Amino acid sequence: MIRIAAVGDVHMDEDVVGRFRPALDELPDCADVLLLAGDLTRHGSESEARCVAREFGNLGVPVISVLGNHEHQCDEVPQVVKVLEDVGITVLEGNGIVLECAGGRLGVAGAKGFGGGFAGRCASDFGEPEMKAFVQTTKDSADALGRALRGLECDVLVALTHYSPVPDTLAGEPLEIYPFLGCYQLGQAIDSAPTALALHGHAHHGSERGTTPGGVRVRNVAHPVIKQAYSIFHLGDHLDRG
Amino acid sequence: MTEQHGDAPPDEYVEAEIQRMLAEDPAIAEQGITVVCLERGLVLYGEVESPHRREEILRRVAERFPRVPITSDIGVIRTQAPSQVEELP
Ligand SMILES: [Fe+2]
Ligand SMILES: [Fe+2]
Repeated sequence: MIRIAAVGDVHMDEDVVGRFRPALDELPDCADVLLLAGDLTRHGSESEARCVAREFGNLGVPVISVLGNHEHQCDEVPQVVKVLEDVGITVLEGNGIVLECAGGRLGVAGAKGFGGGFAGRCASDFGEPEMKAFVQTTKDSADALGRALRGLECDVLVALTHYSPVPDTLAGEPLEIYPFLGCYQLGQAIDSAPTALALHGHAHHGSERGTTPGGVRVRNVAHPVIKQAYSIFHLGDHLDRG
Repeated sequence: MTEQHGDAPPDEYVEAEIQRMLAEDPAIAEQGITVVCLERGLVLYGEVESPHRREEILRRVAERFPRVPITSDIGVIRTQAPSQVEELP
């Protein structure tokens, strides 16, 4: 069995440092890894990234993250990534990592993802260059996630994004903004590989559970949705039975 | 926590402007706050990461729209460790 802790949208700054720490200190006893589903900061500044590093660095379990849209606000993405990597946090964008856990090999592929909307109600690659650029961003991100997922050799495969791959976990958000919260192409990418679980954030008013058309379980782990420091998922029971 | 400010009736443009200000004002940068227009004024609800942010939202909105009655029903998200695990067979 592999034990995965996950949370997204912690939106750290000085005023939040220390709030998660008591719960995080329990992680080595209850999880093999912590996955962060983006929107780690408020504006994506280097100083906010240092707050993330203080709170989520040196936890005693590996920490793997994707970035969210908030990490792009200040245009300091490389600095943010460096601050996180300096404390050992792995930042994924269109790539993956395999961890040797006590219960088996856990593969995590990650990408921020993008909006675009869901089947039948989505943006199309047509018209103004701005619209085409929007949809191209959606496609590129989903393609990168799909490639990363299919490229991992592991026992349990997890997809980590910021934007949602399904509309199910957006329930609670206004329908009108669904196209800014996720896209079906991410779901398609997840379904193109033997993914066991897909985790995302971004939809603060959304709901916890959903499933891709291919049957992969999806969980929205945005902090305002789970209302606890992190959620824990147990996967890969079959590995224990040999 | 509930507080009232001002007395003028809100309109839809004010609602839109507040919604954008919540996201775009660097002192706020919240996309998870919902602005609802009720008869008694605008109600802000949603969840933030600290009491300081909740106060800051109310302060900035009241400062920018001193005549709009604003009610805040914003919560601070709990950060306790989970008491249950989800088993995914
Ligand atoms: Fe967020
Ligand atoms: Fe987000």
